[in-house]
Amino acid sequence: MAENQRHPFLQGLSKHRGAPPTVVVIFGASGDLTTRKLIPAVYNLSFDNLLPADFYLVGFGRSTITDDAFRTIASDAIKEFSRRDLQADVWKRISNHTTYVSGNYDDKKAFERLAEHIAKIEKNLGREVQPLFYISTPPSVFESIIINLGTSGLASKYLGQPHHAKVVIEKPFGRDLDSARALNTTIRAHFEEHQVYRIDHYLGKETVQDLLVQRFANSIFEPLWNRNFIESVQITVAESVGVESRAGYYEQSGCLRDMIQNHTMQLLALTAMEPPVSLDAEAVRDEKVKVLRAIQPLNVQEGGDVARAQYAAGMIGGLPVGGYLQEPGVDPKSGTETYAAIRLSINNWRWQGVPFYLRSGKRFARRVTEIAVQFRRPPGTLFAQNKNLDLAANTLTFQIQPDEGLSLILNGKIPGLETRTQPVKMNFRYATTFGSNTPEAYERLVLDAMIGDGTLFIRGDEAETSWKLYTPVLEHWKAQGQKGMDSYASGSWGPKSADALLASQNHTWREP
Amino acid sequence: MADLFDALPGLEVPVGAIAKSLASLWDDAASSGKPAPTVEDSRATQINLVLHLGLNTTFEDAKTQFETAAHFAMRYPSRVVVLCPLQEDDKSTTMRAKVYGECAIGKSKQDKRCCEFVILSYPRSFRQYLESEVSICISSDLPLYYWPHRFSANANLADYRYLLTKAKRILIDSSTSPREALSYPWPKPEAVRDLASARLLHVRQAIGQFLSRYSPQTLTDNLTGVSVEHGEKLMAEGYALLAWAKDRILACGSNQADFSVKERAHSPELFLSLRFTYSNSQSFVWTADLKIGHSHFEADFKTAKTSLDAAAKLLKPEDSLSEAMFF
Repeated sequence: MAENQRHPFLQGLSKHRGAPPTVVVIFGASGDLTTRKLIPAVYNLSFDNLLPADFYLVGFGRSTITDDAFRTIASDAIKEFSRRDLQADVWKRISNHTTYVSGNYDDKKAFERLAEHIAKIEKNLGREVQPLFYISTPPSVFESIIINLGTSGLASKYLGQPHHAKVVIEKPFGRDLDSARALNTTIRAHFEEHQVYRIDHYLGKETVQDLLVQRFANSIFEPLWNRNFIESVQITVAESVGVESRAGYYEQSGCLRDMIQNHTMQLLALTAMEPPVSLDAEAVRDEKVKVLRAIQPLNVQEGGDVARAQYAAGMIGGLPVGGYLQEPGVDPKSGTETYAAIRLSINNWRWQGVPFYLRSGKRFARRVTEIAVQFRRPPGTLFAQNKNLDLAANTLTFQIQPDEGLSLILNGKIPGLETRTQPVKMNFRYATTFGSNTPEAYERLVLDAMIGDGTLFIRGDEAETSWKLYTPVLEHWKAQGQKGMDSYASGSWGPKSADALLASQNHTWREP
Repeated sequence: MADLFDALPGLEVPVGAIAKSLASLWDDAASSGKPAPTVEDSRATQINLVLHLGLNTTFEDAKTQFETAAHFAMRYPSRVVVLCPLQEDDKSTTMRAKVYGECAIGKSKQDKRCCEFVILSYPRSFRQYLESEVSICISSDLPLYYWPHRFSANANLADYRYLLTKAKRILIDSSTSPREALSYPWPKPEAVRDLASARLLHVRQAIGQFLSRYSPQTLTDNLTGVSVEHGEKLMAEGYALLAWAKDRILACGSNQADFSVKERAHSPELFLSLRFTYSNSQSFVWTADLKIGHSHFEADFKTAKTSLDAAAKLLKPEDSLSEAMFF
């Protein structure tokens, strides 16, 4: 919204300081995400004075607990997971406005009770408040919640006004194209698209947002950001942990659904999209969808564009660890991949012929998320004759986590009388420049939803486009079972079979 | 003022050896076991901040501003140049310099930020050379912010014209400067910001968020008066709040109301209030004791009466600096 279109009493304040009176209702109030991320996010927003005075938090869950019991869950969550210690006066502001409603997600009467509960808050306050529904439950109950929000009238509350009801939906947004479409159909039956905020918390990370700034606020990059200068792009989302206690979930999900289809595709879209006409949510999301639609369908056959594997026994942090098939809760004949690598081609003017390599997995040598843009090597006419010259490809790396920052590999002259070159690295590190106590992704995203800014959320067609690309891969892998499944040692950088994706163009995976 | 220079922390160095001394400063710190940057990127200067300590600055006051600059620089790594002009009648004939560095270690080993200070003391006759001296102390391709603390001599503006022209923002604190300081003929009046107004960010935000739920017409129809009352220590903030409220009311489309500000006797020293008076039964009042961080809204805009407690506090000095610089 343009500054002069904002209310005069909000003009001059940053948009994040203009959140309206809001009641946030969290479905799945005692769940892991709520305690680890959402409640600490609310606390830190309050700490930073970014919440309105008339902010209310309502937990909704199947457990029958009192308001006080929910407050205790919340304060314990802050003590354990917040980036800042619990401070009594800040907590008091939240706890005074924190309540709990119990009920089943498929019970319409429970939602009517919720509607009455919100109405009572408004009556006591003497003002209308914006309802923000945060669905942080297992996906099996997403549809029930959305339908009941619709039939209880909560979904359409204040529709047509700026403080209309909004709904935030956690991942996974579907399991494949059909389920994503079905979920979108349900949502659209009860909400308008502009009310819906599909979350991918990667988009809330500072470095991911910085990607847009680096691309479009620096004139040195954009002229080079195309097939004429870029050799390839590698996007890595690597975890060093195994499935830990999440085997039940992971067996049903796998790496492609868990990481590639959402997080890595978001990183790809921001890296490859055309400059949007503005930073308006629709303008940015239009460009993301356009580039996703330009991706060539994947060849799922052996020797094609995809590779998968499971981690085997190996060494992590100097300690021996077992393989995926030996994990408790994992089927010894499991066909679930813990590693996936994809080679993508984008069929548009900018990227024709530039391979995008995506990989993600568990039990990598280290935890790292990065986007590495490798530029074409310089013509070697000046330095090629000398074997002592080691000209590296210029590589611009956006490190998303850990050690958030940006680095650029350049070639420099080694001091001395002879002309010898060496790759040198220029670094920018967020922690060094701005400190590491920056807002968590969920703080940004919860506040963005409150102020109605959907830029960092996924639109329905965006989710469907991504599923459309990957559903054939999932179907093929499902049909194959364990056939064609490679393995890699825990603590390594992945399976040999993934190297083949890059070999045809003489590329190799990075080991960041 | 000579005492002020001597009392501020740092190591006195020849004026011609400032850059070299800054480099060796960290060697000395490292060898004595103090935190020091081991890699160049720990010293990533992003901002140049010139803290100009006006002639009326007391020693304690100077120390406070110095610490504020240091806290700010830990958040936004800066090269800070502290200007300590000597009194007009000081017979000194030399410029003196000190260098000082400080590092803070955060939560992770990567989170180590260091800042560097250059402190310059100079007699009036040396002001003509100041531009050159400061230019070699700062990183000239990065933005420069000028913070004239207790700058009270309109006539001396010309001596600092170069730096004031180059500055992206000029930060005045109307609580310590003469009231007219904000309207001195600064070379770039549009760059001037009042730190008193910046300190009120949370107050403006709380009131703005509250009032934005009502239409501009609702807020201004039948509005006859807007008044601010302040405690003993918040006169500058009282004026800043009234200026903001007036600006916003005018933006709502009303120019009929009377605007006033006054000190409220027997109130807490950090008391502040804003009241809208209407010719009908509508009402709005916000009151706060910023010392305890508490405020309260009472409003009746016909639809329903609203009574609401809210947090309210002044921004910390270093946060006020960043607010005034960047927003």
